[in-house]
Amino acid sequence: MVNSNGTNSMLKLKPKPSRLLGTLAALAVALGAGSASAQAQEIALGAIVPSSGPFAEWGRSNSVTLRMLEKQTNDAGGINGAKLKITILDDGAKPAQAASSLRKLAGDEKVLAIAGPLTSSAAEVTFPVANEMKLVATSQASSKPGVAKLNRPWAFRNTIDEGVLAKTTVPYFKKAFNIKTVGIIFDAKDATAATVGKAIMPAVLKANEIAIVNESDPLSFNTGDLDVSAQVTKLKSLNPDGVVVSADYSQAITVLREMKRQGLIKPVVGATQLISSAILKAAPEIPIVAPATFFATMKGEAAEKFVANLQPLLRKESGLPAEIEPSMYDANIYEIVSMYIDAIKKSGVTGKPADVEADRAKIRDHLAKLEGFQGLGGPIGFNDEGDAIKAFYVLQGQNGTWDTKVRGCSSAPNHAGC
Amino acid sequence: MSTYYASLFAEAGILLLGALSVYIILATGQLSLGNAAFMAIGAYLSSYLTVAIGMPVTPALIVSAIAAGIIGVIVGFPALRLKGIYLAMATLGFGEMMRSFFINFPAMGGSGGFHGMAHISVGYIWAWAGGILAVLILVERSRVWLEMQAVHDDETAAGLVGLNTVAIKVSAFGIGAAVAAISGGLFAHHHVYIEPANFGFERSIDFVLATILGGSTLGLGSLIGAILLVFLPEFLRPIADWRLAAFGTLLILVLLLRRQGIVDRMLLRGLTFRKAAS
Repeated sequence: MVNSNGTNSMLKLKPKPSRLLGTLAALAVALGAGSASAQAQEIALGAIVPSSGPFAEWGRSNSVTLRMLEKQTNDAGGINGAKLKITILDDGAKPAQAASSLRKLAGDEKVLAIAGPLTSSAAEVTFPVANEMKLVATSQASSKPGVAKLNRPWAFRNTIDEGVLAKTTVPYFKKAFNIKTVGIIFDAKDATAATVGKAIMPAVLKANEIAIVNESDPLSFNTGDLDVSAQVTKLKSLNPDGVVVSADYSQAITVLREMKRQGLIKPVVGATQLISSAILKAAPEIPIVAPATFFATMKGEAAEKFVANLQPLLRKESGLPAEIEPSMYDANIYEIVSMYIDAIKKSGVTGKPADVEADRAKIRDHLAKLEGFQGLGGPIGFNDEGDAIKAFYVLQGQNGTWDTKVRGCSSAPNHAGC
Repeated sequence: MSTYYASLFAEAGILLLGALSVYIILATGQLSLGNAAFMAIGAYLSSYLTVAIGMPVTPALIVSAIAAGIIGVIVGFPALRLKGIYLAMATLGFGEMMRSFFINFPAMGGSGGFHGMAHISVGYIWAWAGGILAVLILVERSRVWLEMQAVHDDETAAGLVGLNTVAIKVSAFGIGAAVAAISGGLFAHHHVYIEPANFGFERSIDFVLATILGGSTLGLGSLIGAILLVFLPEFLRPIADWRLAAFGTLLILVLLLRRQGIVDRMLLRGLTFRKAAS
């Protein structure tokens, strides 16, 4: 720089210690800013769970699971140095609220991906919004056939289609209890239960040469019904070898109690909705066969550690039953967010507001190609329809405990198995 | 406006039409707890017309409204024999009957639901909701509305002065059903998926609640009620688990302080007077 006297002012500067320190400090700040610009200070993820309404128990335990994972991640140094923040919204298991929640998380909270919603009905309405907003949404419980397939490429489900599970569950049920005839009873108000009871189970039973004694006279009830005595009386009069109960466990308990009361002690088969500890206490003498990808007494280092960490937290939370155990849906949502964290770490996600669209696409691409991610029950990937490729177990519950009888895998062509 | 608020306004528009459907029937002194059934008819029929037949959404909504209106008139005739809580129970039964029908109607997906509708915008929803509300506000100033009020206040006296009370009550049912059907059609095309569980008893209660909360003596009351019912729970999200308890408490407080609902003719006159004075 040349001053008015024509001499170079830079030459006149004397290196004072204070000025040198100031320069160094400015340089340090600049370097710090440089590293901060490469990675945001916070990584925002979202979750949609039903903390109120008919599935509040699952939603509340999902929330505890997510808070635990958030703390574990941040205590371990965060994600690439950035703090993990999970914003959890309650949808009350209402599809419209789930869709609004997704819009809030995507548009206002700028999250990079969403875990949820829980129910298939909510997923049916929310997944199209996920596609519109270009944001990954992965359901932790939806297992109604084809829900993710209809909403590619942004919709995923960390669950297995009930049709796939029934193809392994029913042959075991037939063989274990020498079943030749069954009666079917289902919850007509629950979309998944009704689909399983009216379409999936009848087709799989027929394929396994099991006769349905009430095929022309389907027996159903509605979510919330407390008296199913008439339906169970009818079932008893048909004297089947076994009973298909297609309902969420809390509703299925009503049927099992009535079966016990009327002395209809026949083996029961159903879908993933039956898996819970509570159902085994309702009628301990009735054997129940159902598929699951996780259960609280599951063996394995990851699963046992997960249960050991989560169970005390669940039991400490007010509003949850004192004997609560981690559910399959807690495991699923834990795996979903863990997969997102894996994607963020490995695919160059920055978490910066300016990169939000690119970051979301990176997470989607990572999940679409995911193979062999170590979940709680073994490796996880996704098939072309957005459903999980993972290990599942046909469980038999009796006298208070679930026992593994068959291990299966929801493998798909051109994808790695379990 | 963010897409989140747009979705809430869309919900409010759909709820407004549902509330207006109750309000129109209530204006003749009849309480219907089954308007979700008319909403279901509109949702399923309009979805069938747009998805299976390829009809544009506007004519599909009009056809659905006419069909639901005819069914409303048919339901309205037997309802003439019932009053008060008995009518409410009968309409509730009709609602459950329609829900069960759609559960067992495989042509429209049964309990598995129905897909394939094209998404409609919040602007389109409010064009319908605002249009119907505007027409209703005009009708509220007409002789027809006075006749409906006369039936509401004293049906016997209204008959004695020469009013055709049967036609008035049945027409109210038909028009209310048509408005509920439009609400259903808009719901189906906004959410692009419907299932029978969307049209249960809780939905009918939401309609009645929006009408009573906002004010059951003015169409404008339904607007206030619908906006409150949609937005209030969302604004209470920061209090997390206590959100619904706080929402319920607020509803009780409002109804304790204003039994007639938030808006009534006196309040509206008062507001108008203040504006005129200034």
